[in-house]
Amino acid sequence: MLKISTKCMYFLQVSIIAFMLSACSSLKITDEIVPSDGVQGITISKKSKATQKILDSATIYFEYDSSRLSSESIKTLRDIVELMKTDKAMTLSLQGHADERGTREYNLALGQRRSESVSSYLIASGLSNSRMEAISYGEERPLILGSDESSWQKNRRVEIK
Amino acid sequence: MNKLALISALFFSVCGLSDLRLEIKKGTIDPINIAIYEINNKSNISKTIGDVLRGDLIRTGEFKIIDGIEIVQLFDEKSVFNFKGWKMLNLDYVVIPEIDFPDNSSVNLRYRVFDVVLEKEIRASKIFGLRSNLRQIGHFASDGIFESILGFPGVASTKIMYVNYSNFNDEETYKLFISDSDGFNRKLLLQSPYPIISPAWSPDSKEVAYVSFETGKASVYIQNVSTGRRNLVLKKNTQVSSPSWSPNGKFLAITIHEGGNPEIYILKLKDKSLTRLTNHYSIDTEANWSAKGNKIMFTSSRSGTPQLYEINLRSIGKNPKRITYEGDYNARGSYLPDGNGYVFVHRSSEGNFHIALKYRRESFARILTEARLDESPSVSPNGSMIVYAVSEDGINKLSILNINGAQFDLPSSEGMVREPAWSGLVR
Repeated sequence: MLKISTKCMYFLQVSIIAFMLSACSSLKITDEIVPSDGVQGITISKKSKATQKILDSATIYFEYDSSRLSSESIKTLRDIVELMKTDKAMTLSLQGHADERGTREYNLALGQRRSESVSSYLIASGLSNSRMEAISYGEERPLILGSDESSWQKNRRVEIK
Repeated sequence: MNKLALISALFFSVCGLSDLRLEIKKGTIDPINIAIYEINNKSNISKTIGDVLRGDLIRTGEFKIIDGIEIVQLFDEKSVFNFKGWKMLNLDYVVIPEIDFPDNSSVNLRYRVFDVVLEKEIRASKIFGLRSNLRQIGHFASDGIFESILGFPGVASTKIMYVNYSNFNDEETYKLFISDSDGFNRKLLLQSPYPIISPAWSPDSKEVAYVSFETGKASVYIQNVSTGRRNLVLKKNTQVSSPSWSPNGKFLAITIHEGGNPEIYILKLKDKSLTRLTNHYSIDTEANWSAKGNKIMFTSSRSGTPQLYEINLRSIGKNPKRITYEGDYNARGSYLPDGNGYVFVHRSSEGNFHIALKYRRESFARILTEARLDESPSVSPNGSMIVYAVSEDGINKLSILNINGAQFDLPSSEGMVREPAWSGLVR
């Protein structure tokens, strides 16, 4: 037994009438293109533990009032370049810092110069500048609190994140 | 007016909870002797105003308040002011304050100032105030008395802005505060988990500019003090910092850190157009505008070490003139209001950082402070005092010294208060 609901009956009738009407008037022909499912997703994943470990130990240190890279720093940065060439999606935040001595604005500028000097080295080594951002926190984010040379040494740095 | 050792006073803040309070550390040598009659109406209101007035005058470093004036009758036997009686107390000046209450919310303070030596009245003023703002009535009176005797405005009624930093359980909080010049009446302008540096007042003291790191990099904001409305002054991909207002309030000198090469620009606030002021591969930052508006001083490392330079704004593009040669670190200069000199941060041969003052007529800099890491000097709008930050072993506090003052000791105090900025005159 075929049971058709009244609602369905109604729909069928309307469709038949519509078909008859369109047949009487001009025929409407349309072309449509269904686009591919073009969604570009972004996945931000944490850097792998191994990568993170390398970056954590890759802090670059500087002399007083200087943004020059030492030969030791260059060795460290070579490892970073290798890492970046292996992992093509990896991006870096280069965060420059200064010790507490001197004025805050001068130190902000000094920290920026330090992060830019790291960034310049990486770019000169063939990495795209779009893969890194150089910023500065000046003297605002010391790693070590203390007013002696051993604390200051650790605070004059660029952290690579 | 060449006092030797004057006043030093210390601001302190305990764990960011209490207001700043000035603590007077050193008195005055050869002060002006002044006596103030008790205010006619004996009430808490009179007491508050009287205490504020006395505290203000002492803090200027210019006055010694002589007690016991009440035993001298106001008038002598001829019904004229009792100059003879005041002279016996060795007084230089006498103040007679009077209070009245026109309605429930208002307080009027009248005061007269007498020059005892010249035997004449030098000021008669009336201050119309509100019960809700009693301290400011006292500050206004103090400033008027100061001005009538010394010939230039007092700054008790001005404001000081500063940054308070706290770190509880690894949670960092930065607060930008405004307080009265005596540390009372603290008001919060901005609270943030990200660093706030370089606060600067607009010339009319109605707005402030500062650097906030809330977007991950340094950016300059302007905030209206009374409405709290604020704007990012310049949208940039690079860091922007070190704001300094032009005296007419229409421009802001700022540092743009393009590609690690900080340069100073003048930003026209109305249309955000930029005029480049410096052009050198070294660090150029910390612009400060002269009171007349024709010059800008800044810090540059173009000589190899940070030194102060000056640009005449009528000849932009010409080489800036170097104005400091003492030692290997002179930075963050600011002009005295009369333009006759400037204060800055100077690194001594022992490697300590001090506040220094250099008059244009002199060939040497005067070292004003003696802690290890003094920074952020800001000159009071009458040019008589400097507020600055002392930073040592993770402790930051503010200190005020009179510009004629010799060096002084700083007592220990708690708290992390830094980057003071003195407002303009508000009277």
